[in-house]
Order: sequence, then structure tokens, then C-alpha cells
Amino acid sequence: MHVIETAGLTRRFGDVTALDDLTISVPPGVTGLVGANGAGKSTLIRILLGLLPPTSGSARVLGYDVASEGPVLRQFVGYMPEHDCLPGDVSATEFIAHMARVNGLPGDAARERTAETLRHVGLFEERYRDIRGYSTGMKQRVKLAQALVHDPRLLFLDEPTNGLDPAGRDEMLDLVRRTGHEFGISIVMASHLLGEIERVCDQVVVIDGGRLLRQGAIADFTAATGTLVVEVEGDPAALAAALRGAGLRVERDGRHLLLPFEGDAVLDRVRDACADLGLGLVRLERRRQALEDLFRPAPEAVHAGR
Amino acid sequence: MPGADAPAGAIYDLGYRTYDGPRLGRRAAVLALYTFTLRGAFGIGRRTSAKIVPLVVAAFAFIPALIQLGVAALLGSRIEIIAPWNYLGYSEVPVALFCAGVAPEIFGRDLRYRTLSLYFSRALLRTDYAVAKTAAFVTALAVLTLGPLLLLTIGNGLASDDLPGYLADHWREFPQSLAAGLVIAAVAGCGSLAIAAHAPRRAYATVGVAAWFLVTLPLAGILVEIGGEVGRFAAWFSPFDLLYGAALAIFGHTPGADSIQARADLPPFTYLLLAAAHLGAAALLILRRFQRVQA
Repeated sequence: MHVIETAGLTRRFGDVTALDDLTISVPPGVTGLVGANGAGKSTLIRILLGLLPPTSGSARVLGYDVASEGPVLRQFVGYMPEHDCLPGDVSATEFIAHMARVNGLPGDAARERTAETLRHVGLFEERYRDIRGYSTGMKQRVKLAQALVHDPRLLFLDEPTNGLDPAGRDEMLDLVRRTGHEFGISIVMASHLLGEIERVCDQVVVIDGGRLLRQGAIADFTAATGTLVVEVEGDPAALAAALRGAGLRVERDGRHLLLPFEGDAVLDRVRDACADLGLGLVRLERRRQALEDLFRPAPEAVHAGR
Repeated sequence: MPGADAPAGAIYDLGYRTYDGPRLGRRAAVLALYTFTLRGAFGIGRRTSAKIVPLVVAAFAFIPALIQLGVAALLGSRIEIIAPWNYLGYSEVPVALFCAGVAPEIFGRDLRYRTLSLYFSRALLRTDYAVAKTAAFVTALAVLTLGPLLLLTIGNGLASDDLPGYLADHWREFPQSLAAGLVIAAVAGCGSLAIAAHAPRRAYATVGVAAWFLVTLPLAGILVEIGGEVGRFAAWFSPFDLLYGAALAIFGHTPGADSIQARADLPPFTYLLLAAAHLGAAALLILRRFQRVQA
């Protein structure tokens, strides 16, 4: 069964079309919702939660109709918004317990789950202090906790690493991955950072301009490609010239040289060329096609532009 | 927490656990929001400085009742200056202060902190949210408008020499106090929230609510005095005059000769009708606001 199914979902804000006839089916698991800023990620999530009515089209989440079965459905979903949403004048414990009760948990269960969830997201003694004094990282954890406290079947995370430093980002992504993979909660994580999606998700939905661009397993998107990345100490131009002289198609990308990978012989050529020129070889790696490539102009277009 | 049958002394991974217990749905959500808001209205569960204003102002509302009971105890219960029917006349300032101080926070903190999206993404409808919050504030305000009336009614009864006789003569005061206290809380509460919900900032909300109560008061007095046939209807639109009139109608009491209600000379029941109209309009404004607000 699919956790999300939409049919012809459209949302306009005045003249702006945020979602344009979007029809998708999302299976259970950890799904990345990828798109540039303004692609319609947040709009889609907000429609699926019933926070925003669609202009036209319909959507089912966990088998419930979003428009007509909202309150029942929303007992089983969690939502971590992109924006700040925490009151400053209460403690995390007080707030999360309240949110658990609003989710329909009885008082005892709400308190117990609050303690467990805050521990799960890594908030300890500070949970008794007012939220106003928290760092961004702690606030993000509380936001995640409020989305998890009622043990949802489906979790919507809208840019969960927003505003975090690299260490906080790693921790948050690790938390998301564990939540999805170890606890069997389906997750839809919106992000414009493709690296994050690659690290956490099993599958990807790519939207652009409110339309579905591509959808599929993450492995299909990041299959190893035939591109070899070479980085050398010193001037890469000489090496590029040498390799071109040897009949290879070489492309320059800043300090890197990119060349098509056509068997192990290419590696030997690069090594030998470096040795001949006396250049230190810093990096020689076969690049996996990154999700970034989805949003890059095709290589031909790049060539044409140069 | 370890299961009951787990061996003692083991080390447990206190990781994430699933929840299989009951999910009580919409009604529990409304109740939870009601309770949380009611506690918040008095600063319970917040830091100490958040408790001071609501609790002190609420205490002010009880002072006239305590004075009356004290005076009656010292001088004999014959002397009745402050009674349930005219109590609003003595508690206007605390009621206005409470509304102006607390009403802006009821919706304001959710709008300011953008918590609405968390509520609306749970098992609540927008209407449920508005109803729960409004009911909580009206309940909080009823502590000030109804509490002292009940204290007076019960206190007078206990202080009388002849309790059965007192009850036989005055039993009506109990349901009348209940009705008057709730009408005042409902109209003043919903009106304050309707104003506060539409103010973009907390300060504007406070000023707006205070103006609704206090600016209209002298204005209505002047209009009734000099406005002739048309001006006397102003007594319907100053909330304190309106609610004082409604209390008079509920207790079946004639207004004092000096009072604006006597000078306006409008039929007593019209105050109740106008109170209902104010309540309806305020409730519609609140509901409409939260149907439309972006979460």
C-alpha cells in the first residue's frame, strides 16, 4: 500500500502555481522530497496535512482522504515544520506533553512518551528549562520530538537540518535515519540539499516548478557513472593537455579534471601522465552520479556553453 | 522501562519504543487544548513573572466581596452594599485589566510563535481550536466574574443567623449569580478575544481591548446624557453598561436612579438580547479569523 497518493493535485496562490497537476504515489519507507526553493515541497506537505486546501485534485495519506478524514488521519502523522513553531515561555517537557495530549494520548502515556521521545532526540537536563533559551540545534530536536511523541506512522519533515551547523546536521540526519529504518516509521523528508537526501532516504521524489520531475529508488539515481575525477597538486592544465594528447576527452571543472571512465587503462594513463609531468596526484576517483546532476544542465549543454 | 518479566540487573536499551495505547481523537485534543490554555491564562506551568499579573488581578476582583463579607460580619448582616446584582460595578477595573492583559496572549502566543501549524496538523479542526481556546479564556474570566458572586451568596448564607430562612428567601440568588457571572464572562471574554485575534501585535491587542471597555464607558455616559432619543441606545454598546444592564435583568433588580441604565430607560430584557448579539458577533469574528488564518 502507498502511504501517499495524490491525483491531479494543484494549488495556486493568485497567479503563482505552486503545485501543477501533481500525481504521485509514495510507498512506505524513507522518501526524500527534493526540489529547489520554491519548487512546491512545503506546499505539498501542507496540503497532505490539511493545513492548506488544494485548488483542485485530491490526496490520500495512509489511505485516508485528506479533505474529508483529516482529524482521524492526523492522529497518525507527525509534522516538523520548516519554520520556528515553538513557544518560548514553556519548557520542552511541558510543551511536548501538551502536544502528546493534543494528539489524543491519555495523560500518563503522554508524560511517559514525552520523557522517552526527548531522550530519543538527545535532550536531557535542559528539557526542564524554558525553550526560549535553547540553541537552534536543541530547538530542532524539540521540533522533531513533538512530531514523534505520539508514535506516528508517517512523519513529514520539512528541511529538518535548517540552521544547523555541520555537526548538528550530521546528528539530525542520523536521528532521522534511525527513526525511519529502526522504528519502521515512514518518513517524507523535504530538502533542497541533495547530499542529505542521499544519506538518509531510500527513494526520491523530485519536483520542480510544482511538477513531478522524477521518482524512484535512490540507488537508481546514484549509480556509479563513467566519470573519473582527477585532482592534482599544481597546474591541471598541463595534465589536461597531456591527456588530451593521449586521445582522451578531458573536461575541466575548477581544480578537477573530469574524464570518461573507459576501463582500467584510463587509470594507468592518468598515473603515467602525472608521473611524467611530475605532478602530485591528490585524488583519482570514480564518481557516483550525484543527485545534483538532476538539476544540472546536461553535459552537452555545458560543453556548448564553453 | 523494563518489562515485568525481564530479569533483574540487565541493562536495557532505552531507545525508541512504539506506542500501541489508545488514541482518544478530537475530543481529547480539544480538552487538552482547553486545559493547557486555562492553565496558561493564570501562568500555571510558566515562570513566576507570568503568574503575577493574572493572579493579582484575579485577587483584586475578590476584594469587594471580601470587604462586604467582613463588614457584614462585624456590623451584622443587615448591611448590604455590595451584592451579586451590582457586583460588576465594583469589579470593572479588574475585569478590564484581566481581559486587556490576558486575552492578547490566548491566541497571540500561537500566532507569534507560529504554533498554529502544529495544532492544525493534529487531530483538531480549526473550529475546534478556536472553540477550545475561547472556552478556556471565558472559564478563566469566569473566575473573576462568577467567583466573587458565589463567594458573596454562600458567605451571606453562612453568616446569617438563620440559614434555612436565608435559603428560603434568597435561594434565587444562586442561579441568578451563576447566570450573571457566566453571561459577563462570555460576552466580555469573547469580545476581548475577537479584538485581540485581529490585532497584529500584542500591544495593539491590549490597547484595543482596554479601549473597548474603558473608552466606551464615559462615551456612553455622555451620549445617554445629551443624545436624547437616539443617544440613549449608547448604553447597549458600552460593554460594562450593557453587562451591568444584563445583570439587572437577570436579578430582576431596578437600576439605581443615578445609573446610566435608569437614565437610558431601555427595557431590561433588551440588555440580554444585546448581550447575546455581542456574543454571537464576537464568536463569528473569532471563528472566521481562524478559518482564514494561514497556519
